[in-house]
Amino acid sequence: MADLVLENLTIKYGGVTAVENLNIHVASGEFLTLLGPSGCGKSTSLFAVAGLNHATSGIIRVGDKVLFDGNARNTVPPERRNIGLVFQSYALWPHKTVAENLAFPLHLRKIGRAERDERIKEALGLVEMLPYADRYPFELSGGQQQRVALARALVYRPPLLLLDEPLSNLDAKLRERARVWLRELQERLKVTTIYVTHDQAEALAVSDRIAVMSMGRMRQLGSPRDIYERPADSFVADFIGSSNFLPGRMIENGTDHATVELIDGTRLQTAPGRAATDGTLTVAVRPERIEVVTAEGPNTLAVDVQQKVYLGSVWQYVVTAGAMEFRIQTTFEIDAPRILVRIPPEHCAVFAEKPN
Amino acid sequence: MTDISDTGGLRRPIDRSRLIYWGVAALTTVLVAGPIVPIILQAFLDKPLYDDSAAPTLGNFARLFSEPGMARVFFNTLYFGGLTMVIAQVFGAVMAVLVGRTNLPGRKWMGEIFIWPLFVSNLVMAFGWFTMYGPSGFMTLAAKTYLGAAPWNLYSVTGMGVVAGLSQAPLTYLMCLAAVTKADPQLEDAARSAGAGPFRALWSVTIPMIRPAVIYSAVLNFVVGIEMLAIPLLFGGPSGIQTVTTFLYDKGINAAVRPEYGIVGAAAIILLVIVAFLVWLQGYLMQGAGRFVTVRGKASRPSTLDLGAWRWVAFAGVFAFIALTIIAVFGGIFIRSAVTFLTPLIPFWKVLTPGNFELIFGSSTYVRSIVNSVVVSGVGAALGTFFIAVIALIARRSDFRYRRPLEYVALFPRSLPGIIAGLGFFYAVITLPGAELIRGTIAVLILAFMVRYIPVGFGAIAPALAQIGEELDRGARISGADWWTTVTRIILPILKPALFSCYALLFIHFFKEYVTAAFLYQPGSEIIGTTMLQLVAQGDNGPVSALATIQVLITAAFVLLARRLLGAKIYG
Repeated sequence: MADLVLENLTIKYGGVTAVENLNIHVASGEFLTLLGPSGCGKSTSLFAVAGLNHATSGIIRVGDKVLFDGNARNTVPPERRNIGLVFQSYALWPHKTVAENLAFPLHLRKIGRAERDERIKEALGLVEMLPYADRYPFELSGGQQQRVALARALVYRPPLLLLDEPLSNLDAKLRERARVWLRELQERLKVTTIYVTHDQAEALAVSDRIAVMSMGRMRQLGSPRDIYERPADSFVADFIGSSNFLPGRMIENGTDHATVELIDGTRLQTAPGRAATDGTLTVAVRPERIEVVTAEGPNTLAVDVQQKVYLGSVWQYVVTAGAMEFRIQTTFEIDAPRILVRIPPEHCAVFAEKPN
Repeated sequence: MTDISDTGGLRRPIDRSRLIYWGVAALTTVLVAGPIVPIILQAFLDKPLYDDSAAPTLGNFARLFSEPGMARVFFNTLYFGGLTMVIAQVFGAVMAVLVGRTNLPGRKWMGEIFIWPLFVSNLVMAFGWFTMYGPSGFMTLAAKTYLGAAPWNLYSVTGMGVVAGLSQAPLTYLMCLAAVTKADPQLEDAARSAGAGPFRALWSVTIPMIRPAVIYSAVLNFVVGIEMLAIPLLFGGPSGIQTVTTFLYDKGINAAVRPEYGIVGAAAIILLVIVAFLVWLQGYLMQGAGRFVTVRGKASRPSTLDLGAWRWVAFAGVFAFIALTIIAVFGGIFIRSAVTFLTPLIPFWKVLTPGNFELIFGSSTYVRSIVNSVVVSGVGAALGTFFIAVIALIARRSDFRYRRPLEYVALFPRSLPGIIAGLGFFYAVITLPGAELIRGTIAVLILAFMVRYIPVGFGAIAPALAQIGEELDRGARISGADWWTTVTRIILPILKPALFSCYALLFIHFFKEYVTAAFLYQPGSEIIGTTMLQLVAQGDNGPVSALATIQVLITAAFVLLARRLLGAKIYG
């Protein structure tokens, strides 16, 4: 068991900064997800922990073992880091059987035949792939390969497990089952896990905590609930789930609530937030949190229904109030051209800037 | 397995991977620079390299240019190279389209025969042409007897160029064939639905896409032409036509008795510069070839074009061409080896004799040259494959800081004509201290051949290496393997088919090589090629044919075995 510490981790390629000043402390046994759009630096960070990318500065530490120290110019090569890593493509060696794939890391660790066989059996049993020990990778389905890849990363009992979008090559149904199974396995083994994905639903479902990244920087670190309910900035509000961004200006900013005026003149009570220096701001609110109401009251406004889309589990509407356009979601169908909606204050987040 | 504990990592006392990087980089640099540096030095010295009192001078170049007939020599070389290229491109490209994309009857076996010349040296080809179409060749005499005159003259620069061009056509053919058969058929389908007829679609869409293949092989064939020794030597010698290579050969060989090192060095530098420029030009012309890349993930068979009744006309033409320029040439060598003399006036079965083979097998020198050839090829190709594989792995799959420069150095021998490689190694082994250990042994031949053909092997390995995902290396590294363990245990086993192909290609190239060895062999280290050169010079045509036949048969047996047993890909 070990924790992972990233201190001011910066990774540059030539003039391009891929990751900037990343600070994360992953507790022992924690399941932490790096989430962000492609090119945000999440995989780069993961591979730097593995030692397969060269970090530029900062510190990477697992337990009491320093793997990288930019100041001391000290880098432990990947083969001596003793970390488990599952690749997006699984990277099973095609010329070795399943059992041989698992045997290779044990062989490198000079583990005797008896114990080696024991551990291979154990790891394959763990991922329910024992009957396939003598198969070659090409004889397995995608889901089976993914489980073998996991077994290979676990067979030498690393204190830290890194997963690089391991489920992205599976079809949608299988992916949902696999993530539940993966989380159960991780809880059972209590192995510290870093998981990289661009799929927010996956991240919300499996993680203890999520680090949301964008353009090489960490935007927010928190529990799935924190990230969804209390996004730290408009990027997170936009990237996780989806949000409407309503422009307005600050009227009053208190300790437990704020009052803002939207551009159509509607006044809203919101959670406290920050406005730009000139008082302009943007209110983020999720479509499914906006309620359709029958009576006027605080935080209600009348809107015109412009467009109706049936999404299966919900209906989505594009509505306008003056020059403002936003989306709402309901579980029922609305036929009226003009309706009254309420924007609950507790679901309003106020940011100085719009997402770009 | 609830307890996943740190097993303590793995300890390695020294970083052997880094030792290997530096060792291989140093060895490659020494081997590639080895033959070039002495030539450059020699070109600017007024006395032989080994003479301590030698002083720098530009006089060698002055002497070279004041040499009578030098302009003629350079003109001959360029004209010969150019003609070689044009002939090879025209015949190779047409054949590729016919075989690759039409319903030409017998296209499969005729395509196979068409590439035979690639497997043997152009020394063998030259001798075969000489036997059939030379001044007293079988076909020439037949034409004179039955037609009154033979309208060809091999002993002219044009004749030489035609022979060289036809010997090189298979190279163009293979590159263009790959391009026409891999072209995405959907592109042609799109042209068809836009209203183009089948010929028009082929002509306007697919033919332009083989342009990179044509350009690439054109420069290659031009280079082959200007660095070719055998054909100018055999056909130019008797009529006094010289090219740069025959000039270098004559002067270099005679250098033992008449010290002409300086002038040879100067000529070699000029040839080296021309070839290096052409290789650079090739790379320059290939820039932006991406717009011709038509290979997509989906594998599909291109449709074949129906030639209709014309296909029999095409068949007659192609068959006559193959029969006259390939089957006749090889057949001439075989028959000549079994007769006392070959003429259309006497049926050959009346002059059959085992004498030529008896002569070869009765002489320890000739037998030794065959044994040496097999050893040099068998052992050399194995060493070469391993060496080239390690270079490719470092260049493409390591974090070695100088991996790009290493690749440049390793591929430099593309610009190194065989005659210069031979001359350079010859200089190196007579001047370098300690080199006398390998001087005049087959070891120096193996080294020289290896250096010369690094690019050939690299070309067989690098594309296969690119097919292996980098996660496989990364997976091994994170599992606890250092770089060397990763490449030897994971990458090389997966690379096995490409390694076999590399071995087979190197074997064939080593086995047919003669130019590079011309300056390097000594009694005891002869190979088939050098012995043939000697016998040709003496005019012993019977034994040359026997030796050539033996070389062709061993090559054929090897190709068959390599394809069957190793599954090696040799020219398609």
